[in-house]
Amino acid sequence: MFVVAMHAPEIAVSVRAGEFVNLGWSPGPLLRRPFSVYRVNGEQIEIVLKAVGEGTSKLLAMTPGDRLSCLGPLGHGFDLKSGPRSVVLISGGLGVAPMPIAAKEAKALGMRVTWVHGARSSVELCSESEGDDVIWATDDGSKGFAGTAVAAAPDADLVLACGPNRMLSAVADRWPEALVAVETYMGCGTGVCLGCAVPLRRGGYDRACKEGPVYRAAEIDWAALPSHLSYAVSR
Amino acid sequence: MSPDLSVAIGELKLRGPVLAASGTFGYGTEVPLLERRSLGGMVSKGIFLRPREGTAPPRIAETPSGMLNAIGLQGPGVDALIRDYAPKWAGWDFPVFVNINGESADEYGELAARLDGVPGVAGLEINISCPNVEQGGLYFGNDPRAAAAVTEAVRKRTRLPVWVKLTPMVSDIGVIARAVEAAGADALCAINTFVGMSIDLNAYKPRLSFRTGGLSGPAIRPLAVHLAHQAARAVRIPVIGIGGIMQAEDALEFLIAGCAAVQVGTATFVNPRAIAEVHDGIAEFLSTKSITSLAELPRYLPRD
Repeated sequence: MFVVAMHAPEIAVSVRAGEFVNLGWSPGPLLRRPFSVYRVNGEQIEIVLKAVGEGTSKLLAMTPGDRLSCLGPLGHGFDLKSGPRSVVLISGGLGVAPMPIAAKEAKALGMRVTWVHGARSSVELCSESEGDDVIWATDDGSKGFAGTAVAAAPDADLVLACGPNRMLSAVADRWPEALVAVETYMGCGTGVCLGCAVPLRRGGYDRACKEGPVYRAAEIDWAALPSHLSYAVSR
Repeated sequence: MSPDLSVAIGELKLRGPVLAASGTFGYGTEVPLLERRSLGGMVSKGIFLRPREGTAPPRIAETPSGMLNAIGLQGPGVDALIRDYAPKWAGWDFPVFVNINGESADEYGELAARLDGVPGVAGLEINISCPNVEQGGLYFGNDPRAAAAVTEAVRKRTRLPVWVKLTPMVSDIGVIARAVEAAGADALCAINTFVGMSIDLNAYKPRLSFRTGGLSGPAIRPLAVHLAHQAARAVRIPVIGIGGIMQAEDALEFLIAGCAAVQVGTATFVNPRAIAEVHDGIAEFLSTKSITSLAELPRYLPRD
């Protein structure tokens, strides 16, 4: 996992947990790529990524002083309000992305924060641990609990989750009231292309980039939401 | 002095030659950071008589220098469009065209009648070229008689300017172009997306749930310039060029190839300021060439 920091003062002062930025860089893919804002550091914001495709490897090859185009903050985030006394953050793989800011906002509202990190193996686990309690879970048992992050998580007044849609679907089964940040293919990020359709249980679709990416888990028709995304451009 | 970029599409005067293409600009209320001063006009997201849910995800897939989409004309239906959006358009300083869709010529005609005289609606763009609907769409666009029948059905029921958006999925676009011109179209828009498919190697199936999608973006630009040029050669009415325009030079290719104006689509997804940049870039090009108005831009348009 890599962290990329960029100077974006207007976004840094206003971004909330679960909101994202849509990044374009050159040479890069045609369409922008959405990234949850991971941390804010003064006038800088940070994102996390894996080097999955040709596009992201170009992004990682950038050096300080290079410029990219950053549109944001976009979307509807976790919307934390005072009330719950405890919160569990469940993150799978790159799903850690929105959690540091969520943890900070939850603590500021007086919640006790438990962060459950899940990944396939210890090498894919993120070391960020901004929680009162931290639980590690790996599918192969190489660190912490041997099994999924969802299975390792305790109950709490509020559950927030981000990770592969398959994991979020398991979260929805156990905590229908959980707030989950879904993953979709995205075109414009601004609500016009209707590419990032999220199927809803009440029927129809709405837009991950506008009404989402955070939803109450019970609102989503999980069977109709693609469970795995591969972002590479076909050649 | 900056060059005169105004254009006339039939009776309709536009302050600039760059319009927002249907499906890439919503209903004009969504795109942020937009500099509207440079917008020659806008075409709304495609509308049917009734609301439509659209297709299941995944709906888009990026391909080399392009994107495939199969949105399936998701939309609220014409009543909601008239109620929620047209009143806003009525106050805007550029014309808004409504992209209309139907499963039969009668449905297109019915839509035309409903939109005729609605304040805020400056004209209609007949979509006979959407590749992502089960009924209608492309079927009307690749048969000259069906294309003419739809155009006539609309023409008979409205006094608004009528543009027809053509599909590239034909063996001779000139035949379709002449058929809809004869049926009463005021202008042609060329072209809509190409039908394409991309396969997910891990899932052993297409990347889009609809199986196929419409290909747009720079990947299709030379194909689009050629087809727009062929359409322009075939008819006397104006042709509005569309296909992979990302910057002013791309728009100028269409204009020199015989188009009266252009529509910018996919570029807006990538860069919300794309339309303004294309508009300003055209002005700069004309200034550099000491051309004082777009009307004087040399065109390459031998007539068929």
